[in-house]
Amino acid sequence: MVLELHVWGPAFGLPSIDPESLAATALITQTLPRNQYQLIQSSPSAVPTRTYLLPPSIPTELEATDISPDQLPTLYNPTTKTHHSGYSSIMSHFTSLYPPPKPPSRSAAATTTAYTAFLTSHAAPLLALSLYVSSANWSSTVRPAYSKILPFPLGWTEPPAIRTAMSRRAEHLGMSSLDTDAMEEKEEAEREAAAAQGWMSAPKGIGKGRGVGGAMVPEQRARIRLEGLAKEVLDVLGEVDWKGEGVEAGVRCLVWAYLALMVVPEVPRGWLVETVRGKYTRLGEFVDWGREEWFGTGVEGLPWRERMAEETVVSVGGRFVNGLMGDIPGFGEPWRRWWARRKLKVTGRVDALQEGSGELWQMAGMGVALMVGALLWRKLPQLGQPLQIWQKPLPGFLGLGAAGFVLTTFADQWR
Amino acid sequence: MQKREEGPWKAHLNINIAGCSSDCAFESQGHRGRKLSAALRLSTEFTAKMASTPANWQWPVPRPLQQLFDYFPLVTYGTAELPARAQATTSDSVPTLFVFASEDDARLGAPSFNPGCLKWQTFLRLAGVAFRVLPSTNHASPTGALPFLLPVRPTTTPIPAGKLHTYALKHGTSPPSEPTTLRLEAYHSLLDLPIRNAWLHALYLDPAHTDLLEVFYTSPASSSPWIRDALRRQLRRAAEAEILKTGSYLSAAAAGTAVVDQEQVYTAAREALESLAALLAESETGWFFGEQAPTLFDAGVFAFTYLMVKYMDGNGEGDLGGMVKGAGDGELERHRKGVLDAAGWGEEV
Repeated sequence: MVLELHVWGPAFGLPSIDPESLAATALITQTLPRNQYQLIQSSPSAVPTRTYLLPPSIPTELEATDISPDQLPTLYNPTTKTHHSGYSSIMSHFTSLYPPPKPPSRSAAATTTAYTAFLTSHAAPLLALSLYVSSANWSSTVRPAYSKILPFPLGWTEPPAIRTAMSRRAEHLGMSSLDTDAMEEKEEAEREAAAAQGWMSAPKGIGKGRGVGGAMVPEQRARIRLEGLAKEVLDVLGEVDWKGEGVEAGVRCLVWAYLALMVVPEVPRGWLVETVRGKYTRLGEFVDWGREEWFGTGVEGLPWRERMAEETVVSVGGRFVNGLMGDIPGFGEPWRRWWARRKLKVTGRVDALQEGSGELWQMAGMGVALMVGALLWRKLPQLGQPLQIWQKPLPGFLGLGAAGFVLTTFADQWR
Repeated sequence: MQKREEGPWKAHLNINIAGCSSDCAFESQGHRGRKLSAALRLSTEFTAKMASTPANWQWPVPRPLQQLFDYFPLVTYGTAELPARAQATTSDSVPTLFVFASEDDARLGAPSFNPGCLKWQTFLRLAGVAFRVLPSTNHASPTGALPFLLPVRPTTTPIPAGKLHTYALKHGTSPPSEPTTLRLEAYHSLLDLPIRNAWLHALYLDPAHTDLLEVFYTSPASSSPWIRDALRRQLRRAAEAEILKTGSYLSAAAAGTAVVDQEQVYTAAREALESLAALLAESETGWFFGEQAPTLFDAGVFAFTYLMVKYMDGNGEGDLGGMVKGAGDGELERHRKGVLDAAGWGEEV
């Protein structure tokens, strides 16, 4: 039996760019010998439960099994023919496959559940601030990493969508000022609105950028607040000895994964790295220890499966087109909902809440009507005369028509 | 600086002169001088005109209009009194807590059906603050979210949920203590994430509880079936988005394909309730973290367990009440009853 683990691809010298995928990889390397599992580089749009724009052709071995929506990481067990999506269900599936010699105590299990929830609700937004919201870090480090792990055209559609989702995740922290692209757009829009209302606006650069504040990047300006946010999370994590005996392997891997993604990537605005390394040295050491212990052989040493097998032009193209459809303003949202529900129906998990498809057809109908209208409009002859004549303006007074003619005559006489 | 500012001006003049000279190339020197001075005079006149623009703008108002406007304002009203209803709803003697509740429940001071409101309602009762309850909606709240508290009348500044804790500690007769352990944060995220998600899913997305959603939120809002329908869709979509925003749905949400996985939501909730029960089993006092009296954390847990047991007991897959009762050795059920007693509600509600 060879388990298949579908994960986000490697980045920053770590086996995965996504914390849950990273944690799952760490867990599987500790639990299983190298020849009993395979790692498959993927992205959520390519998880094998998907059917593309082609007619739904579900592989026969997947029939009548529990298929979850596309999430990464996903573990496929060929013996039981089941998919397990999300870190929690992978963790529990592992525990059922390879029960630890001594079942965890009740309080250890409770700690695992609590800290898993804590990481998802608190550490994930913090990580999102550092890697995704901050424009500088995103454009110089994270986006190139995504481009490297996604096959060719997908690098255009998927990373921006991920960034949007991640920023939404960190919205409640109120640090959107780190996203300088968005801030500039906002300022531009404000300036235009003011101009439209008749206000004179000072030229760019006046009144701003003076003094110490102007010379600092947003991360420096918000440094104290950012450190406060990091402290809220890291204080709680620093409380526990993660290398210790009383900690279950599952939650240890997850904590390590989040901390590793905070510390390891070399980002230009490294406030989070500096905070962890400077004030929480024990957590920093834990990251180094885990990296050495679990991935000492390097990322390439892991049993990756050749990626070309599934990635035909058609499938990648389908994912790309789907991504594009999801980005059409006004239409994308219903499209995504419809697509997701359709997939559930295909996989035999009919949701009781069916609202998506009617709306999508409405939108599609309106779109088609608009396009047909536009085409007809362009085909119609112009209003007024069917024949339009354009005359070259005449020199001198002749351009003024009849009066010009009279004037020209006068002028000739004057001469 | 001054010198440099002169630059463009000079250049402009030069161009003028040059332009002029090319136009009047055949004219004499004197002629050109006159023309130039005329151009300069024109420009000074222009600036003078610019400066005096506001004065010129005022046209005389036509006489009939002026006569008409002489009649205004006809009457200046004094400041209006608060409506009689407002006098009745707020009170001189007790502060008022605005929560989601039905009229009858509010009159009796019964628990609210919204977990966020119930948490604070319970906490204020535990802290020994005397207050009364009024049903309200998010639109009434200054922060956009219930609950909020209106203090006794001379103070008119409402207190939002975020500041209720300090208020209760200051004005309560038996202010609860606050556990200092950092583990609290970790366990608190169980309430924020898996348990809240399960509640949202059961109430909003699970068709088994549509009637509950109707009674709680849509029918008090409007009597029109159209509006109720639209409101229900809106609520459902918001709840779905809220669940998808969290956890490992994130990457799938980015790919635009995320659908709430019911089984996953309920499994996570069951684990979370087990975990809370285990935490409770460690404590000897029956309250979380070994406190002598129920704290804010107890109120938060109670807000969910109480509502789950009351409204969602024995309903197929979304049997959250059953999960609460079955968690651990029934610690959460005992805890629920304990908080009911401590908050002075007793068994009847």
